[in-house]
Amino acid sequence: MRILRLFHKSGQEKNKAWLAPAILIGLVVFILLISLVVDGIITEDYFRLLMVLLIVIMTAFLFERIDKVRTLNKMNEKLKKQTEKLKDANEELETFAYSVSHDLRVPLRAIDGFSRILMEDYEDKLDSEGKRLLNIIQENTHKMGQLIDDILLLSRASHQKMKFREIDMEELVKRVFEEQRSSSQSQNVHLKLKHIPPAYGDRTLLQQVFSNLISNSFKFTEPADERIIEVGAENGKNETTYYVKDNGMGFNMKYKDKLFGLFGRLHGTDEFKGTGVGLSIVQRVIRRHGGTVWGEGEINKGATFYFSIPHKKGSEENGF
Amino acid sequence: MGFNEIEVLLVEDNETDAELTIRALRRKNLANNLVWVKDGEEALEFIFATGRYFEREIHDILKLVLLDLRMPKVDGLEVIRKIKGDERTNKIPIVVLTSSKEDKDIVESYNLGVNSYVSKPVEFDEFREAVSTLGLYWMLLNKSPE
Repeated sequence: MRILRLFHKSGQEKNKAWLAPAILIGLVVFILLISLVVDGIITEDYFRLLMVLLIVIMTAFLFERIDKVRTLNKMNEKLKKQTEKLKDANEELETFAYSVSHDLRVPLRAIDGFSRILMEDYEDKLDSEGKRLLNIIQENTHKMGQLIDDILLLSRASHQKMKFREIDMEELVKRVFEEQRSSSQSQNVHLKLKHIPPAYGDRTLLQQVFSNLISNSFKFTEPADERIIEVGAENGKNETTYYVKDNGMGFNMKYKDKLFGLFGRLHGTDEFKGTGVGLSIVQRVIRRHGGTVWGEGEINKGATFYFSIPHKKGSEENGF
Repeated sequence: MGFNEIEVLLVEDNETDAELTIRALRRKNLANNLVWVKDGEEALEFIFATGRYFEREIHDILKLVLLDLRMPKVDGLEVIRKIKGDERTNKIPIVVLTSSKEDKDIVESYNLGVNSYVSKPVEFDEFREAVSTLGLYWMLLNKSPE
């Protein structure tokens, strides 16, 4: 690292073409001063030499400036091109997400609809095996539909423009928890909500984060008798770290790196339903806020997911 | 069936979606006076009684237009713009029935004066429920100006 820096430094000095004449001029002035002290006179030739050197140094300085501006211009141009490319890629992705949402749903609805119609209108002609097979078709269309919805959410989490403002995180957690409770119809889940500070970020996206984390907790505490979900936070110097903790199935820390991978799952689909997109969405959203996310767990003891959000100052510059 | 008794115009380019929609309406007995057209151009010909539908009376009551957005030739938004922009037809209720859940489509549709926006559920049960609910509402409950 240090060697690199040294190289860098000498490279920079090489560019300073005015340095050599500047040293020379220093020397000449030094000699001039000495001769002034010793003889008390300055010859005209000395004076001319001084002038010439001064002109050389000015020219060198000027050339260097011109060179700098030229490189800057070049870099600017490159940056502009790259930004444009990125913009195009982004637009392409948006169109892709749009067509995923629109075009993939149409055939899916047809498969689901016509298999349902077959089941209803030809019920007396189908034996139990025929009905079982049709049921498999319907279950799988449902899964596919879920997958499309989740991919779309992921795409939105990555590309949707963020509106930064202060968000009451306590209110957000309560709202998400109630939503989950009523949709899962589970009465034996308790929310332990500690006092948590507000965050500066995008409300829709952060709601998605809590929604995914809390719905995971609902899902993985299902087998437990007393299901507890704890949400809290710790205020740091530059950021606040929030956590969602449960007493559910937990996971083996050996797989902690796989938690946030797209379509990654640590349980079989027959054990717990899911597409393996939820935590990827959480990670994308938190990264866009300039924060980090990680998980801790122990099998059959529970899991805790942490995410940090930078404080207001500069968070918009950190996010992207 | 004469065009003059038509109460519902279904504008849908996808045949399977059209069949599922008609089936859902038929179960509630709402598909008796329905015409299905496959693109925006034909929809406009029907509404304004031109081209293939020149025999139709433009003043005849249409209780509901069920409109898809993504269609060949003339798309759904253009159809809304034309219908809502004409004094003779701007009171016809238009319900957008589309796979799109995009905010910009929803906002644009309402800006152009659409009466309702429904995104087609993927699950057939929900789809059938949605179509028959909005059919019952617009054709039986809703009162349009005479």
